[in-house]
Amino acid sequence: MSEVNSADVLVIGSGGAGLRAAIEACDQGARTILISNGATGKSGATMLAGADVTLDGGSAAKIGLPGNEEDSKEKFLHDIIVQGYYLNNQKLVESYVRDAAARTKELIDWGVKYVWDGKRALLTQGVELNRVLVEQTRKRRITITDDIYMTDLLTQGNTVVGAAGIDINHGEIRVFEAKAVVIATGGWQRAYSFTSAPGGMTGAMHGAALRAGASLVNMEMVTFCPNVILWPPALRGDIFPYILIEMFGDLLEKHGRPFLKDEYDPSIYRIATTTEWNKLIFSVAGTRVVLRGDGSPRGGTYYSIKTVPLNILEEAEKLYPGWRWLRTDFSPIMDWLKAGNAVEVAPAAHYMEGGILVDENAVTTLKGLYAAGECSGGLFGANRVASAITQILVQGAIAGKSAAEFSKVRKTVEPDTKQLDKIQARLLSPFTKENGLRPVEVKKRVKKIADEHLWVLRNGKGLKTAISELEAILFKDIPELSLKTAARAYNKEWLDVIEIESIVQVLLASARSALYRTESRGVHNRTDYPLTNNNTWLREIVTRNVKGKLTLTTRPVTITKLKPPKGKFSFEEGIIRAVKELGE
Amino acid sequence: MNSIKVRISRFDPKVDSTPHYQTYEVPFEPRMTVMDILDYIYENIDPTIAYHSHTSCHRRVCARCNVGINNKPGLSCHTEVTGDVTIDPLPRFKVIRDLVVEGL
Repeated sequence: MSEVNSADVLVIGSGGAGLRAAIEACDQGARTILISNGATGKSGATMLAGADVTLDGGSAAKIGLPGNEEDSKEKFLHDIIVQGYYLNNQKLVESYVRDAAARTKELIDWGVKYVWDGKRALLTQGVELNRVLVEQTRKRRITITDDIYMTDLLTQGNTVVGAAGIDINHGEIRVFEAKAVVIATGGWQRAYSFTSAPGGMTGAMHGAALRAGASLVNMEMVTFCPNVILWPPALRGDIFPYILIEMFGDLLEKHGRPFLKDEYDPSIYRIATTTEWNKLIFSVAGTRVVLRGDGSPRGGTYYSIKTVPLNILEEAEKLYPGWRWLRTDFSPIMDWLKAGNAVEVAPAAHYMEGGILVDENAVTTLKGLYAAGECSGGLFGANRVASAITQILVQGAIAGKSAAEFSKVRKTVEPDTKQLDKIQARLLSPFTKENGLRPVEVKKRVKKIADEHLWVLRNGKGLKTAISELEAILFKDIPELSLKTAARAYNKEWLDVIEIESIVQVLLASARSALYRTESRGVHNRTDYPLTNNNTWLREIVTRNVKGKLTLTTRPVTITKLKPPKGKFSFEEGIIRAVKELGE
Repeated sequence: MNSIKVRISRFDPKVDSTPHYQTYEVPFEPRMTVMDILDYIYENIDPTIAYHSHTSCHRRVCARCNVGINNKPGLSCHTEVTGDVTIDPLPRFKVIRDLVVEGL
């Protein structure tokens, strides 16, 4: 084990939430270390974000954008909660709409390039956000440490006193002692084989938080981004067809029929192509097509622009000159489509509404531990509609401040050597096994479980299968994993072992929560419980590790502003009803 | 074409004095990328090879999967392969292991 690094505030994660948390902690006077599992600015979900920053039009007008003074924070809050199916922690939504303008203004002051959409969104791009935030981070006395894969929290009783992980390039175990720790590591999309998220989004710190005794919330809630390219391989993972379908083109089943137009109420098609309900509607409709056997060879549907006249394409290209947007080049996709081909598309694991349980000050259930951004849960309830970029900025700043304040009244605690020995033994154990199970095989099995049973449409039978298979992997297979090379430097199998450990724990929390929630709500759709049940299920599911056992409890949704309606609704009824409530 | 020959530069500075090539035979699929090939080898033939993928974006954004492909730098996630291929680490960077370099 190498030397121990010491910080007042340790920020784990170098996307927007981590960068903003580090900036805030440093500005509050804390000695801050920022850790990335890749290269800061070149890893994490922020880099791939579209991206927009959302705030209400009234607040936008107050910070000098040509906003809409009739819009307000109250209206924005209302819309987020209605579309979140009332599962949102309303205290978190209040912070979101309250701080959105300040965070947006500061981005503009820091020189972010953007286009204002005239309503509620500042359109920019993930790489551009990272550019600005990394620049601000580097201006400050913040220690940046790259390619460190954090795996564990160090605790003393109920208090977090640091964290540990491995140096990916050199293979050493690294230990950081800290008066406060902020987790800002995004979601766990890499539990699935098809995702729009980059590598590294494996829920390692969700797993660490669980093992340390923190609670997770709403883990059954996973947003899928529909119409993501599945094939051809060079374009795989690109979400551009998801954007294009708002303008033109058709989603086709295997006979070339546009299924959403053919099979749904015209109002659903209109809502899918003009509102933020697009993710949910397209994902559910496309998955229904695949499940009945009318999908494409690789398990998706098709997106085609064959019916779009050339001059319409030329007009659209004016929005994206040369089919480029800032630093992203969509022209290879357009070349493929314009040549008359369809791309195969499918929903991809995209955003996690659930995560580490926090309050409005980013405080978790463990002392000294804070969480911000997508790794935290509760803000967006059962369906995210507003920007996750605003989320990471707002919550990052809050977490940085809370952690810095806490660190001022704390002393550094030396890590418990017994705890460190245990962590080291666990992390290094795959090196000591011979002829065990191959990590890549087990990883494939884990992803298959997620793909089959924790996908867009779920059911009780599948979830029970998932739970028993995941438990077997956790207790029987993981201890048997072994590596083919003893090289510690960039050992891919070793990284796979670490990923499998956290992914299995997080998937178990997700599957158990999904089985427990005997209804459909937002992005959680159960074919055996198709109705949204506001009479009994306006409750959050909380998962926690008690003496090595995953334990589930529920708590009523936190309501401060907007009272949910009573009743039960089907998928289509729920959407049509909510759209009326939004006055669209 | 049913399969292609893939030559990969192998080097562990802790053990080897110089890099050497190892050749793998990989089933060819139309439109496959260098990253697909590396993943295939890792998953099916040789799990000891090192190439950057733990935080790669697969979307031409992060550029951390940059390698030498038939002596030209290219993103492995986006470069399609049409036949036999040689893959080296990006030149002029210090090699950590195989295709993984420092400072990228």
